[in-house]
Amino acid sequence: MTLRRRAGWLAVVAVAAALVAACDRGPRGGPSITVVIAEYSKDHTRPFWQALAEQYTTQGGGKVDLRIIDWNSIDQQVSTMIQNNQPPDVLNLNSFSSYARDGLLYPADDVLSPATKDDFLESFARGGQYKGTLYGLPILSSARAFFYNRDLFAKAGIAAPPKTWDEFVQAAKKIQALGGGAIGYALPLGPEEAQAEWSIWMWNGGGDWKAGDGWAINSEANARTLTFLADLANRHRVTQVNPGKTNRTDSAFQLFKDGKVGMVIGFSPLAKQLDAERKVDYGVAEMPTSLAKSATLGVEDYLMAFKKKDNREAVKKFLDLYYQPDNITKWITAEGFLPVTKSGLERMRADAKLKPYLDALPNARLVPTTDPAWDRVKLDVQQNIGLAVQPGGNPRQVLDQLQRNAVAAAAAR
Amino acid sequence: MRGRRWEALLWLGPSLALIAGVVFYPAVALVRASLGRYSITGVLSGFVGAENYARLLEQPALPTVLANTAVWVAAVVGVSVVVSLGLAQLLHQAFPGRWLVRAALIVPWAASLIMTAKLFVWIYDYYFGALNHLLTSLGVLAGPVDWLGEDSTVMGAMIAVGIFVSLPFTTYVLLAGLASIPGEVYEAARVDGASTWTAYRLVTLPLLKPALLVAVVLNVIYVFNSFPIVWTLNDRNPGFGHDTMITYMYKIAFKSALRDVGLAAALGVVNVALILLAVVVYLKTVRWEEAGA
Repeated sequence: MTLRRRAGWLAVVAVAAALVAACDRGPRGGPSITVVIAEYSKDHTRPFWQALAEQYTTQGGGKVDLRIIDWNSIDQQVSTMIQNNQPPDVLNLNSFSSYARDGLLYPADDVLSPATKDDFLESFARGGQYKGTLYGLPILSSARAFFYNRDLFAKAGIAAPPKTWDEFVQAAKKIQALGGGAIGYALPLGPEEAQAEWSIWMWNGGGDWKAGDGWAINSEANARTLTFLADLANRHRVTQVNPGKTNRTDSAFQLFKDGKVGMVIGFSPLAKQLDAERKVDYGVAEMPTSLAKSATLGVEDYLMAFKKKDNREAVKKFLDLYYQPDNITKWITAEGFLPVTKSGLERMRADAKLKPYLDALPNARLVPTTDPAWDRVKLDVQQNIGLAVQPGGNPRQVLDQLQRNAVAAAAAR
Repeated sequence: MRGRRWEALLWLGPSLALIAGVVFYPAVALVRASLGRYSITGVLSGFVGAENYARLLEQPALPTVLANTAVWVAAVVGVSVVVSLGLAQLLHQAFPGRWLVRAALIVPWAASLIMTAKLFVWIYDYYFGALNHLLTSLGVLAGPVDWLGEDSTVMGAMIAVGIFVSLPFTTYVLLAGLASIPGEVYEAARVDGASTWTAYRLVTLPLLKPALLVAVVLNVIYVFNSFPIVWTLNDRNPGFGHDTMITYMYKIAFKSALRDVGLAAALGVVNVALILLAVVVYLKTVRWEEAGA
């Protein structure tokens, strides 16, 4: 009896203790803040942000509740936080304008010192604006580049990486003709990152996402480009099997790293892996184009600050700490990405390996993340554009449907 | 007496709190979410009554997804139960090393579903996969097959994995059923001159009915709600052509252009209703009361 009663009291005490712990606001030095960061790599993301959080706290900031979330579930987890009225204070994501439109974010002027704001590279600062105000603070960037396998090029007797689309098709055919499982070009149009692959081909085919303020996904130029890609798969047969159902990371890159593929669109983290494995002798070149000047895709990810009661000073302090040149450059270098600040660009110029990407950076084009409709358009393209390059697929029809959905998304509030 | 009642409540408290928190609250939250309109970021902008349910019926992918779900559940549960009947019979016999075989059968059950699914992604791979290697070197196939990319093979490939992970549980339920059948009834059957097959058909199967019911009902629920296998094996395919209701719900909420928590919650409510309906219909047709008696 006494034992049971004591156990009962223990339970009560334990619950009470848990409640008290839950209410604890952390040590003095300011309110605690929640920081949500996407996991760019297992090795570098958590250690860097953990150290930054500790630095913040020891410099007199409050406690940091740091959450590192993998890319596959970050949209879901952030959505859940907002549904439950518990948004993070600082969030890292690849989109921002829907959050700005919903009125959840601080404008940059409220949470950044002027010196930090002025340090952003022009194009990335523009890429973070919603209706003319900066909300999406660039956290890092990357630029795609055209990778080719030197061994396969030599075997197929191709002297130089292709510059035009005709040369590209010829090169792909020659590599495919080598046999033994050689693949001309790895084309990933599966749901993972189809919008990136498509953007690069689309721009080099003379098209764009938008014309002025309106969407232009089903333009003549875009229909030609998507038909060209479908032909690579079904007429010339120079791609891997089922390109509309191939993802980038676990498939296209994998095939290139295995030495099976002649050409693929990659980025600096792929180069890092290739250098570490030393299995494939590769070159990096400009994207083949049907235009006078080759275009590539720049990708900008964002930090954003959520408006919450009494958190502005704490958030500002944290962001200014991240944007200290030592901190931001340390992380971007560790992850193998590219700078977003003028001071970072200067520092990283020293690395010869990064030259092709840094050279491409000023001319890299961004997808229209500044338009809230983009957040839906991107998902729509990821889910559907692959259907166009499958046998029997209809590029024109797929683009028409994407255009209709984009127009509807833009009209909806 | 009063004090004792209070004490009872204290002891029941943790489980009651658990049920309230894990079962009751999410159910209420799901229904509530299904009545709301959410922006793409997750901000609730108001309640719209049954609008989400009406929009759900307008989704062009819904018939395909429903059909996929029916095929997926029927095939996985059906084949699992039939194969498990044989496996259970085998494991019921005494033979040297039986404990080892019984233990080995648990492995696919014990492994995480995501790990198993990832493993099968590699086994099915067009370029590197063990399955294509095996079948082409045996001469069964002339060339490799893109098992997870061809529309004609994706569902079959997923069902095979579904069966693989459902077998252990089903077999053990049926094995327990077999163990509960007394030996005398077989003796009586033999005295009456029944062949082995007749004895199995007329004695074993009827007495196994309660265990079979449990195996089917629980499997229908598990397989219907199974997310990791379909999600992982189908993640390369565009559109909704090979989704079941569960992965469709996830895509509506987070991965498709709809990106609508309210619509996905409505589908979640429909899913619960569907599964309840399926179980009730099944129990009615097999006449649960008689079997239980």
